[in-house]
Amino acid sequence: MPEPVTKIMVIDDEEIMRYGCTRILSKNGWPVITAENGEAGLAKLQKSPKEIDIILLDLMMPGIGGMEVLEKIQALSDIPLVIVITGYATVASAVEAMKKGAYDFIAKPFTPDQLRIVVKRAHERRALQKEAEFLRSERERSLRDVATEKSRVNTIINCMGDGILVCDRDRCIVLANPAAGLMLSIPESQLLGHHVSQGHLPPELSNTIEESLKAEGTVYTSVSQELIIGESQETFLRAHTAPVRNDLGEIMGSVTVLQDISYLKELDKMKSEFIAMVAHELRAPIATVEQQLTVILGGMAGNLNEKQEQLIARASERTRGVLTLIKDLLDLSKIEAGKMVQYKEPLNLADVIVRVVDMMKPDAQAKHIEIDFLPPAAVPVIQADRSSMEGIFTNLISNAVKYTLDGGRVTINLDDNDGFVRVCVADTGIGIKSDDLPRIFDKFYRVKSSETRRIVGTGLGLSIVKSIVDAHMGTISVESTEGKGTTFSILLPKATALASCEENTQ
Amino acid sequence: MAKKILVIDDDPDLVEATSMILKSRHYDVIAAYGGVEGLEKAKSENPDLIVLDVMMPDKDGYTLCKELKADPALNAIPVLLLTAVVSHISTTRYSHQMGMETEADDYMDKPVDPAELAKRIEVLLSRQ
Repeated sequence: MPEPVTKIMVIDDEEIMRYGCTRILSKNGWPVITAENGEAGLAKLQKSPKEIDIILLDLMMPGIGGMEVLEKIQALSDIPLVIVITGYATVASAVEAMKKGAYDFIAKPFTPDQLRIVVKRAHERRALQKEAEFLRSERERSLRDVATEKSRVNTIINCMGDGILVCDRDRCIVLANPAAGLMLSIPESQLLGHHVSQGHLPPELSNTIEESLKAEGTVYTSVSQELIIGESQETFLRAHTAPVRNDLGEIMGSVTVLQDISYLKELDKMKSEFIAMVAHELRAPIATVEQQLTVILGGMAGNLNEKQEQLIARASERTRGVLTLIKDLLDLSKIEAGKMVQYKEPLNLADVIVRVVDMMKPDAQAKHIEIDFLPPAAVPVIQADRSSMEGIFTNLISNAVKYTLDGGRVTINLDDNDGFVRVCVADTGIGIKSDDLPRIFDKFYRVKSSETRRIVGTGLGLSIVKSIVDAHMGTISVESTEGKGTTFSILLPKATALASCEENTQ
Repeated sequence: MAKKILVIDDDPDLVEATSMILKSRHYDVIAAYGGVEGLEKAKSENPDLIVLDVMMPDKDGYTLCKELKADPALNAIPVLLLTAVVSHISTTRYSHQMGMETEADDYMDKPVDPAELAKRIEVLLSRQ
């Protein structure tokens, strides 16, 4: 707080008094100004309010008397302390002055020490008053700052393009910005103050929020999900929900951030459609070229010499490679467009795998590779698209055969794994480098080495497999040791587990 | 006497290649370059078998196949459908389903293996 400097004004018609007081008080370091009558004193007060802390006021003056000056001073906004100087030591006038708001009085004649004592007391009083005033204004300012900060945060949240939903631990929505209401097509009034399950939220989202409020442990967990808003599926939202914890790790509530990803979905769809269009347009002419090459190779257009046959055989190999790539692209764009796994039916995976293994037998036998598959006695039924499942296992088993050296072994295991059916496809092949492992499910990623150079592939097979597994709410993982072999494990939810899960999200 | 096969495809190059495969197996081959022309020739030429492309601009193979099978005079002629739309993964079921829906007697993916094509045709003709 600022150092208090007490300014004093002496209002007295006697010059000797003004002079005497100024001398005495100046010695104590107090600045003193003087006024020779009431009007002059009041004028100075009005000219510079809050400047004067203490007034020594003579009651007996010509013109406006001291009492009247005192009354006028009391009407000011910042009232200085007034010490009245009573000329004839009349207690009555001193009492009256005190009643009118004077702080103290001093009777004429007085000694310099008497004056100092009275003024010093007033000075101390004034200092306390100033300090109290300072503290009060400080407190007011910090309250004002808090209010400003709060409204600033509110403004930011309300202007954000992303939707924000905050729930307390009683599952009540305590904050929802306009973007959240817009994205969810729910009026704000139906969000704020409502229980999450009664706030007209999409059930998937309210489930996630309830789950996040139940989360245990202090690990940070954020759940991300996609929501489709509206009957005609016009809006796609991505929702990130995370619990909010206090210092003790207790859950205080949850925060959900909503983003509109409709344009991303639209782009994705356009991309898939574009790929499908290009692939279709490419496929017909290349299929014709390949057909023409087979005719030439079959000698149906006349005999070929050895060199010609060799060249045409290689050309045919290349066109078949391109055809495979186009097929894979079409598959992938179909899967990504959600068209591939529309025909889900109750399925026994063992039957599917037996058929695929039969199909693969000729390739395997050519390399003296044995394929082991012993279906278990009872296989839980899964809900899946049959042709997609055939696609998965054709891909995995043919890969296993391709990347296993002559005389190796491919083992397929099918078992019941706690709500899931697990299939493992293990080979004794060349394995995958640990550097390559994280990327093998990427589109067009192919492991490049001297061993794989001669193996034909598009780099799309495993990403197709992964897309299909994803579309069936399953997971796929891979373990591999270079030179020893590779094992792919797929977990697919059992039909019963899936049914109860879907019921939950309804 | 050599059996007569009608090849229907809007791509003349493919018609030529398919015809050469069939001729090398000593079949008589008649060509039609579209669905409408195909139906006319099926009626006028009385072929023993029809090799039919699916994707044709004027009338697609599925529609033509339905018309052939709905015609009492023509429905005994075996139809082998050549498909290009069918993709890798779904080869086994999806294409089969398509073949069934269109009442085709058999189906194959383009491009065809000449030996495989000959074998399928032989099987279809021997059913007669």
